[in-house]
Amino acid sequence: MIEFTNVSKTYPGGVKAIDDVSLTIEHGEFVVLLGPSGCGKTTLLRMVNQLEDITEGSIAVEGKNIHDLNKIDMRREIGYVIQSNGLFPNMTIEENVMVVPNLLGWSKEKRAERFDYLMDLIGMPPENYRGSFPHELSGGQQQRIGVARALAADPPVMLMDEPFGALDPIIRSRIQEEFMDIQKKLKKTILFVSHDIDEAIKLADKIVLLKDGEIQQFDRPAELLNRPVNDFVSEFVGEDSVLKSLNLYQVKDLQATLDLPAVEGSPDGKVFHPHDSLRHVLAHLLHPSRQYVYVEGEDGTTNGPVSVEHIEAFVREITA
Amino acid sequence: MMDFLDYLGRNYADIFAHTIEHMQLLGVSLTIAVLIGVPLGIYLTTNEQLASTVLQAASIILTIPSIALFGVMIPILSTIGQGIGFLPAVIALILYSQLPIIRNTYTAINNVDPNIRDAAKGIGMTTLQRLWKVEIPNGMPLIMAGVRTATVLSIGIGAIAAFIGSGGLGVLIDMGISRGNQNMVLAGAIAISILAIAADFGLKKIQVKFSPKGI
Ligand SMILES: Nc1ncnc2c1ncn2[C@@H]1O[C@H](COP(=O)(O)OP(=O)(O)OP(=O)(O)O)[C@@H](O)[C@H]1O
Ligand SMILES: [Mg+2]
Repeated sequence: MIEFTNVSKTYPGGVKAIDDVSLTIEHGEFVVLLGPSGCGKTTLLRMVNQLEDITEGSIAVEGKNIHDLNKIDMRREIGYVIQSNGLFPNMTIEENVMVVPNLLGWSKEKRAERFDYLMDLIGMPPENYRGSFPHELSGGQQQRIGVARALAADPPVMLMDEPFGALDPIIRSRIQEEFMDIQKKLKKTILFVSHDIDEAIKLADKIVLLKDGEIQQFDRPAELLNRPVNDFVSEFVGEDSVLKSLNLYQVKDLQATLDLPAVEGSPDGKVFHPHDSLRHVLAHLLHPSRQYVYVEGEDGTTNGPVSVEHIEAFVREITA
Repeated sequence: MMDFLDYLGRNYADIFAHTIEHMQLLGVSLTIAVLIGVPLGIYLTTNEQLASTVLQAASIILTIPSIALFGVMIPILSTIGQGIGFLPAVIALILYSQLPIIRNTYTAINNVDPNIRDAAKGIGMTTLQRLWKVEIPNGMPLIMAGVRTATVLSIGIGAIAAFIGSGGLGVLIDMGISRGNQNMVLAGAIAISILAIAADFGLKKIQVKFSPKGI
């Protein structure tokens, strides 16, 4: 858990980078700090592991005020990943990944075992990479190693500053998915910086939207998209916010809102699965040759028909 | 030419002895120069203001002609009875070596990628751990390049130190000139050149060995 209480930060030159931020990130929650360049995302993140001083207010990690903790010790208990991965060029991949366990004095056997586990987790065979050096890896692989290094000592809290920012879109999207799988298993408390709203929507349990060091909205992605609290937020989420948010809803959400009758006999349109995204359903329906689709109910029944009007009704519901 | 080979044949033991002397002078002065220059270069990265002063002072030292430096040191060191000989030569070589060693060390540490330094800090390395595990290894090629420059520089200046009785290959040149023995001068000059080339080559090997494989 990370708690910010009335945190402000003024840099020596006089720039007020963070302005009275209060925010609680619950245990196991994945929170994305989102906002335009220079809004203070990195600053807010780096205050957590005391790479930046706090000017006013306080931050607590796992219930302890960071001010009372030893900087070095607390940093070893927090995973830290940065955009340019920051791998140490002079160390092998194993040494890089195991750098924190090494600082913590783990035994050789325990380190080797942990290395194998982490490499499997990130989908890179440990034997192939143990003795390699960072420059021998592709950008995507280096970024995975950066994630593995942050996970090495099994920290409950992870700080990630645009970790996938430097990757090309395809690799990036694959690593995002891999990382979501890892997070499902490990349930870390994650504070993640991004300036890409699509990335934030995809990964976040909750999004903090910042502007000039102030929180504009702290909400679940769907709420942020469909119920922006001010003009800045609605402009930031963009005109296609409804479409984006349909990615976040599934067929079963539609069924929960609308009462769809079961169909007798065989359906005359495509049947969607309860976990398919509504955006898929809508995209399918927009084709002029299709009027109806059907959806599979929880108990195996086929319900419908569903038309574009149903989706519109659903959108009215979620944006109300 | 036959004359020269003949000279070598008769005097190889003497030439060899002077080469050893020369290497001793270098060995002692460079060891001390590295022990002073590298830590100083590292320290200067934490003190911007002192850094420019020290680097400037080291550059000025390098512009003083060696003969003049010896001239200055003779009266000073005479007070402890060491006006000429090995000690003033060692001190001079240490002084001349400082600029390349300090400057390269300072630059090497300062040039470590700030992202790497930031990562090292963020994962909980102490200042000293950062230095040992990250900054020095990554700066090694540049630090060693400084030592190599200092070595080659010292081999040349070490020859001039023969004028103040330091011994070494400069003695051959010095004596050869005063006795009008060209073969002797030539033998000294060639030996110095070979020593410089060999030292540079050897240090390059050491540099590769000491530099981490990944960089
Ligand atoms: N070390 C510093 N000294 C002075 N001002 C700084 C420093 N670091 C950041 N700032 C200023 O603080 C503000 C917030 O910077 P920060 O790096 O936190 O933004 P960001 O949201 O991470 O931006 P980006 O998306 O470009 O990374 C900016 O106005 C920036 O110029
Ligand atoms: Mg940033």
